[in-house]
Amino acid sequence: MNGGPALGASDRLTFLLALVPFLMDHDRISVTEVSEHFGVSPDRVRDAVNLIAVSGIPGETRQYLHGDLFDIHWDEFETNDLIVLTHLVAIDDSPRFSAREAAALIAGLQYLSSLPENADVDAIASLMAKLTRSASAAPSQVAVSGTDARSSIAVVQAAVRDGVQIEFDYLNARGEHESRLVDPWRIQSVDRDWYLRGWCHLRAAARTFRLDRMSGLHATDVPTSPRSADAALPETLFEGSASDLDVTVELPPSAVPLLADYAPHGAAGAQADRVRRTLRVAHYHGLKRLVTGLAGVVEVVDPAEARAVVREWAAAGAARYDEAEPTDVGD
Amino acid sequence: MPSTIEKNSRVSVEERLFSLVLALIATEIGLTKADILSTVQGYRQRYLPGGDNASLERQFERDKDDIRELGIPLEVVEPPDDPGSNHHLRYRIPKGLYELPADVTFSPDELMLLKLAATVWREGSLSAESRRAMTKLHALGIDSNDPVLGYSPSLRVREAAFEPLSKAMDRGQVVAFLYLKPGEAAARRRQVEPRAVVLHDGRWHLFGTDQEAAATRTYLLSRIVGPVVSVPGASFEAHGEGQGQEALRELEALWTANIAVISARPGSDAAVRLPQGRTPGEMPTHQDASALHLNLHYTDLNVLADELAGYGPEVLVHSPASLRAAVRSRLISVRDAHTDSDRDPHPDAMTGADT
Repeated sequence: MNGGPALGASDRLTFLLALVPFLMDHDRISVTEVSEHFGVSPDRVRDAVNLIAVSGIPGETRQYLHGDLFDIHWDEFETNDLIVLTHLVAIDDSPRFSAREAAALIAGLQYLSSLPENADVDAIASLMAKLTRSASAAPSQVAVSGTDARSSIAVVQAAVRDGVQIEFDYLNARGEHESRLVDPWRIQSVDRDWYLRGWCHLRAAARTFRLDRMSGLHATDVPTSPRSADAALPETLFEGSASDLDVTVELPPSAVPLLADYAPHGAAGAQADRVRRTLRVAHYHGLKRLVTGLAGVVEVVDPAEARAVVREWAAAGAARYDEAEPTDVGD
Repeated sequence: MPSTIEKNSRVSVEERLFSLVLALIATEIGLTKADILSTVQGYRQRYLPGGDNASLERQFERDKDDIRELGIPLEVVEPPDDPGSNHHLRYRIPKGLYELPADVTFSPDELMLLKLAATVWREGSLSAESRRAMTKLHALGIDSNDPVLGYSPSLRVREAAFEPLSKAMDRGQVVAFLYLKPGEAAARRRQVEPRAVVLHDGRWHLFGTDQEAAATRTYLLSRIVGPVVSVPGASFEAHGEGQGQEALRELEALWTANIAVISARPGSDAAVRLPQGRTPGEMPTHQDASALHLNLHYTDLNVLADELAGYGPEVLVHSPASLRAAVRSRLISVRDAHTDSDRDPHPDAMTGADT
């Protein structure tokens, strides 16, 4: 576990409140052990212990006298990096979860629950009940239906575990089919979309693949090659490319957020009921689908070639309904 | 200034909050605001006896909110002999409600599952909450088994509305936002009691009571196109637990009941992508030389119509007729909007917008 993002006072307070009961249960424990257990740096542990050791309650005298404060064995701490609590004040148990904290874990469990290896429904239900009982208020109503347990997820996961190459037909974002042979490294999801990251033998490079663009997926019995050091996994799933095209579209101002993934920029005609924005797209193959999927909202104005591609795409789609009248009209 | 421990006058935020929590847990009868400001570490250094402590009082108000956000039950007690008096309100944290119930324990396997559940929110919304929940769990001193390697499921809510909606929901606060309903061209303002935020069929939905319609409505977060604002002074009684499950049940029932019959060109994007997670069985119904025939479940006709229209000629909708008509009219409107008349290729001609 890494150090995580910058920690606010809330995180630091939570750490203090969690550390006290943990230390109570461990008569004598090293800073290193505590740092490993909580997944924080040793310095953060030392800072917290230093603060706990001088904290306490105002007490009868309202003067924070010695007996009203926590205390530690200072020699052990300063000489041997060991923590020994010698006096306790006020708290002796871990705090409950907040409504949102419990909800975050419950929703996370719901998301995991449909995956093959977490299929023990009863165990998950009992865990969710425990979390609900351990929260100081009813968990926030955030609920997640399981991700669909596609068989492809299980195939890729097993291949990652067994260290074997997988083979599949991949339909890339330009609509081209290619047979791929891949060393699977990691299977990853974002909401409902699943991605495989690994070494693509066709391209001889690290690549990300969408599971919903694979067909004919199967594991081979060829072991994956040892991962070379320079084949580090890029942290972002997608990167822009120099060959991206600029396309100008017109749409109502309120619809601009729908195109957030395409980094719309430019702000001509801000007071009009239609505004123009320029989008970066990788290819017209994707653009025509995007625009046709937002019928009545987004219109391409420039370049003319992009307008023509969209027009032909929609016209070809519409024409299919002229060829074949449905048999169930009026249904 | 009374002080037995000489310290710098700058007391860190976490020291002040930690001292406040300790002081409020240690008291049975509660402390008044004056007690707190004049005696608790971090306040007392800045307290002016008999002077103006307005900024310190505001500090205390913010600290109370921050502490409650962490799930710490900070109570206000009215003095029985002087109800309604603001001056003699007492503050305390009942230990029994503060502590994790003694009979709740977690096995190493359960802790591993919880770790994985926490990493689901590794970025963005609810990531701070997940992290703090794990810190609290670690206090129990359980060693966990390590989660499966090579495997990282995540929820990363892209919609900006998630955060303000879920917070308003917890506070019972009525919200308003602009909603661009699928199938409509213009956004309209909605005023809603948020009751649950749920992920279903890969999309985040808000489940709530529309105050204008006085009825339960479901909104797609991706279609909330403006900021979510609180309606001043408008709050509602929490609807209690189970709202999230109720929302999911309703969406699931809709999804199961709605079936679209379509065919897709073999090998096309539509044929590869549409069947995934949508078809009633694992396999498409049947395939002949020219088409892959699919039955697709769906929740909202207009959302599916948008999606299917995007596939252009790769998809032909057979039924229901309403979906067929919706897809066809979308394709015609896109075709026409992108058709330049010979004389006037100016796009304004098509949209009717004149500036």
